[in-house]
Amino acid sequence: MTEALPEEWLAAAEALRADGFEYFDWLGCVDEIGRRDCFRIVLVIRNLGQGAEPMMLSCLLPRDHPQIDSVQGVFAGAAWHEREAAELFGVDFVGGDHRRLLLSPGFEGTPLRKDEVLAARTGMSWPGAKEPGESEIAPNRRRMVPPGVPDPALWGNRDPSEPSADPAAVAESAVGGRVRRRRI
Amino acid sequence: MSSSSHRWIRLIEPACTSCMICARECPSWCISIDSHTEPVEGLPPGARNRTRNVLDRFAIDWSLCMYCGICVAECPYDALEWAGDLTEPGAGRESLVEEMVQPRSDPGLGVQ
Repeated sequence: MTEALPEEWLAAAEALRADGFEYFDWLGCVDEIGRRDCFRIVLVIRNLGQGAEPMMLSCLLPRDHPQIDSVQGVFAGAAWHEREAAELFGVDFVGGDHRRLLLSPGFEGTPLRKDEVLAARTGMSWPGAKEPGESEIAPNRRRMVPPGVPDPALWGNRDPSEPSADPAAVAESAVGGRVRRRRI
Repeated sequence: MSSSSHRWIRLIEPACTSCMICARECPSWCISIDSHTEPVEGLPPGARNRTRNVLDRFAIDWSLCMYCGICVAECPYDALEWAGDLTEPGAGRESLVEEMVQPRSDPGLGVQ
């Protein structure tokens, strides 16, 4: 995988295309929260004349300002992939197509960011919270929690005067499974 | 009826161990399970006391179920299977909650 800086992204894509990698395969986004405070954009292109080995070009974008040049002028097929990454991760593709692709026009949020919370479920009782052999949810040390719903102490029940929770802590808390007792 | 058809999900009650895996894997949160533990009787003398789970309630809310089949696929005891029938229509939202465990008239029966 070849890494590029955001400002080199468009030029790197153009150079690879000029080098024979003319077939666009896919473009995707990965939320790297927990490892680094970044999104990773990955572009996969192929040179069909030279076997099937794909070329992967990637770029790290800071989560607080995820902005990158659109490559749809180089690979027209990338437009749909960029629109998908734009609405699901909130990445701004400069010069790209800003129309919605999958989500409804009124939808607010970025559903594939790992710190995205399933807010409607935070107030619901999860049937999986019971342990085998239980009919009532009994308090115990390591409780199961559903994915997408963070610890209420971290998200939801917070004092409004406190600063909002760290996105990495929300993402870690919302993975589901056995919760660790959080040291506050 | 093809085994892959996504229609009605049947509980095979004797195979269910109340392990909660289906209720936890369900993305629609439509499976509710109640269970309790009872001591295992007839153990050899001197053996450590053991308990087992007894299923009291297994309900699927068909108004929430999206027939994805994750519960059928995830059950480690093959206690859920696809069945050919369609789910019954209901007069209201409450009637779409299907209780799949018959209440036991004699509570002692489950210990046998």
